[in-house]
Parts: sequence; C-alpha cells; structure tokens
Amino acid sequence: MRLVIADCTVDYSGRLTAHLPRATRLLMVKADGCVAVHADGGAYKPLNWMNAPNVFTEYEDHWTVVSPKGEELLITLHSVLSDSVHDLGLDPGLQKDGVEAHLQELLALEPHHIERGMTLIRREFPTEIGPVDLLCRDPDGNTVAIEIKRRGEIDGVEQLTRYLDFLNRNPDLAPVRGLFVAQEIRPQARTLAGDRSIGTVEVDYDELRGIERPQQRLF
Amino acid sequence: MKFRCERDVLVEALGISGRAVSRGGLPGLSGVRAELAGDQLSLTGSDLDLTITIDVTVAGERDGVAVVPARLASDIVRALEPGAVSISAEADELSISAGRSNFSIRLIAADDFPQIAGLPEESVSLSCNQLAEALRQVIPAASGDDSRPILTGVLLAAEADGLRLVATDSYRLSMRDVAGVSVLAEGQSVLIPSRALNELNRILGQADKVELRLGEREASFEVGSVKLVTRLIEGEFPNYRGLIPDTHPNVLTVSRDELLDALRRVKLLARETTPVRLEMSEEGLELVAVTQDVGTAREQVEGSYVGSPLTVAFNPQYLLEGIEVAKAEQITLSTIDELKPALVRIAGVEEFLYLLMPVRVS
Repeated sequence: MRLVIADCTVDYSGRLTAHLPRATRLLMVKADGCVAVHADGGAYKPLNWMNAPNVFTEYEDHWTVVSPKGEELLITLHSVLSDSVHDLGLDPGLQKDGVEAHLQELLALEPHHIERGMTLIRREFPTEIGPVDLLCRDPDGNTVAIEIKRRGEIDGVEQLTRYLDFLNRNPDLAPVRGLFVAQEIRPQARTLAGDRSIGTVEVDYDELRGIERPQQRLF
Repeated sequence: MKFRCERDVLVEALGISGRAVSRGGLPGLSGVRAELAGDQLSLTGSDLDLTITIDVTVAGERDGVAVVPARLASDIVRALEPGAVSISAEADELSISAGRSNFSIRLIAADDFPQIAGLPEESVSLSCNQLAEALRQVIPAASGDDSRPILTGVLLAAEADGLRLVATDSYRLSMRDVAGVSVLAEGQSVLIPSRALNELNRILGQADKVELRLGEREASFEVGSVKLVTRLIEGEFPNYRGLIPDTHPNVLTVSRDELLDALRRVKLLARETTPVRLEMSEEGLELVAVTQDVGTAREQVEGSYVGSPLTVAFNPQYLLEGIEVAKAEQITLSTIDELKPALVRIAGVEEFLYLLMPVRVS
C-alpha cells in the first residue's frame, strides 16, 4: 500500500470528464493496482478512483492511470508532502461481528429454535457465490437455506435470494426454501422476503444464550 | 363512471375504505375500487388480509368501475373547498372537480384489484356496544409481532354460556366472556387478526348491530353501510386455560381511577425497561419507580389488602393497559408471589380478567 499526501490536480476522462482543482489530498495506490484520491472528509468514499486492472505510469510531475476501456485518470503533482509504502500482508477477510457469528453458532447447535423439528445439514454450506449460513432439513424432509443476520435488512434478503437461486440448481437439494433469521427484521425486509416466498424468523439472542430476561413470559 | 357528491361524504368514505389499502406490495392494492350503480357508490380497499367496503349514496350519472390511487385521491378530495365534488372516470383517467379546482389523475388497472372471497349468507347479529367493549378489553394484549402470527390474533371461542374473546402476546393475556351471545357452534373457535378487529372497533359506533358471517378462511363484519372482511389466522392458539392460576392468596382491592392516575405519574420515572414496583401490605399500596441516574418516584394508593406483604414488579405499560380496560370503580389485583402471574379483575365481576407476568427484579 502506497500512501502519498500531495498538492495535486486531478482530471478524469472517460464516460464523462471530471476535474478536481488544486488541493492537498491523499493518493492511495493499492497493491492490486487500484488508485484512489481522497480528501480529508467524505467518509470512505474517494473523490475519484480507478479500479484494477489498469496501467499505472509514474512521471516526475504527474501520474496516469488508464483502464482497459480507455478511461484515464491524470494526477498532476504540484508538490509531494509525504510518500510512504507499507506492506499490509494478506488480509484475513471480513469477520462477522461477534453477535452474528455467535447467533449462527447457537442456531447451528439448536436449529429447532428457528423452526420446530429442524435439523442441521451443514453450517456455512458452500455455493458458487459464497457460503450460506446454515443448510437444514425440515421435518417434512425439505431442504432449507438459512441466512442469519443481527439486523434483518433488505440486503440480507437479496443475499439469501441469490443463494437460493444457486442452491435450487442443485438437483440433490432442490427444492430449497429460504428462511431469513435475525434478532430484528425490518418491515421492508419482511415484505420483500414474503414477496419472494422466503420465511422470516426473529430470534431472541439472550434466550438462545440462556440468559433470563427480567420480563417473564406466560408461556 | 360519473357522479357528484358532498366532499365530506367522500372524504369519510375514502378514509374508511383506505384504511385497508396496502402500503407497498402489489400495485393494484394501493388503490380503492370505486363501483357506481345508480346512486350507490361502493368504495373498497384491500391488502388481501383485510378488505373494507363502504356504500354511500351519491348523485349518479353514469355507472362504472374504476380503481383510484387511494392516498392521492383522498388527499385531493380532503383539500378541496367544502361542497359538491364531481368525479368522472374515463379510460385510464379520473377527473376530480370542485369549484375552480380540477384534478386529473391516472387510474390503476381494474384487473389488478383482487377478487374478494364470497362468504356464507347466514349471519349472526351482535350488539355493537357489547362487542366494542369486549374488543377494547382484549385487543391491547394481542401481539404486534408478525413473527408469531398466532399471537397477533384474538381468539373467539364458543363457551357454554356465550362467546369468549382471548388475546395474548405471551407477557399478558386478556380474556372477556360475553354471556348470551351465540356466534359459533359448540366447541368452535376462530382466530381473527387484531388489526382487523381494531379497524372494526373504529366503525362499531356507527350502528346498533353488527352482522357477523364466518367462512372457512374469512370472517366478515357488516356495520351499517360498512363491510369489513378479514382472513382468519390459521394455527393453534396457546392453551390459555392452563395459564390462569386457580387461586391467588393475596388480593389487593383499590379504586381503579386512583391507581391509574398514580401509575401514570410514577411511570414518568420508569424509563424504557424500568419496572414499577408495587409494595403491598395491610397498610395499602405503594408504587415505586427507580431509574438509575434519573430519579425515584413513590406514591401511596389507598386500598384494602388481604394476604402476606409482597413486592411485585411489572412492566408499567402492560399494567397500565390492563387497568385501563378494566372499567369499574373498584378493581382487584391478585398475586401469588413476586414471580408468578398476577390477575387484574373488576371487583365482583367474573367476565373479564387480565393476566400479567411480573418482571424479575433483584
């Protein structure tokens, strides 16, 4: 990872043209070839960027980054304030947050909390586009793909829809129905899931962990 | 379709039928179906689970059917000057005119509107007041959590001497018997979505009698010119009978209004998950709410208490809702201990009970 703080001007030409006037910015050149231009704001989003693969050429006072489609990023360097290179090593990938991973672990141990009579086939069942959290079998012998989230949003339903598409192409598993499981499911996610015949189940994390809630239940 | 009618009549009719209109979902369900035959205009809104139809008399000029965007049509008509409104539907456009205002809005394809299931002709007549009171008492205990659909319904069950209504969200349970009302066959019960019954309750004041029809999967309620059809919830309602303790050794009898007022005051200091404690002894009742870093509230309430001194804590909102629907001068709170379900009842009345689980406190 190369990090350059520079007083620079940036010009992009491609599907449209864009010009960033002269200012001090962070230029990020990643090991995979991606180049991103960041201001000191705007959260994670760069002002301009060029994804890999591209051709990066460094001149004394400017850089050019050209994509295979002919898009060009021209970075004119007026002065360089800092230029450093860091070897970040191999990234271990995104870890699910603790609650989500723990929820998956607890539900894999006791899938009947999701639906009565449910049994686990495999946790992190692989598909061509990534592993589905749990693959289970319901009491009628049907295969059930389960996606587990801490907060059930629309993107989780979309993700499960994609898994179901791939899983249902497997004649050994099909038909596979989907269940979207979360501590809390947003109404929009519930509606979308219903529209796609995906079931939704809210689970109580504390109850799964065996923690007694102060508010007791009648049953 | 073409007709004229008073703005206020149309506003009310669109408002009532529009309450069943789906928010999101199929495009056809975002509309109200208007059908004009002579001077009778029927407006129907539906989200497939709940359908509400209202008939109003208008000055009809040309019969027809149109599905109008519910929200937009309602907003337009509501915003018009008071007086007569002219409505006409031609091809795929609806014209709304009143005074110097003219609106033209795109109609929804009538084919997209769902077919409403037919129901048996046979009906049972119920007193609106009686049903409204019973519904007010049980609906608050129904769950709003769609992940357990059975708990979102109100159970209507035939009992030897009448009809029983039960609702529970698993934290509390409300039960009301309506004597002398025979709606269901012996041993029969149906589970009706509380949302539909809430809507029914809004319109029960419009007539003296409500006609109830039960189908295999639907139930309909006809109140004056309004007809409400709801799907029934399928599944087994929890065995509520086993949840109600036979005996309670401790009984507190208090003025319902005094307890309600005191609870509302003390609740101000019971934030979020903080329970309210009821300290009961021969000297009466003291309500206590303590929220860390916020403060403390205490209030004594006069009452007679029979039993051992006991402190029991409740979710203040659940307790409040139980007391609110127990409309009487005196109510009783029966307890066993600080962990077992307590019972709110109207003193000397058997028809109603509200069972509530305490909150565990250290």
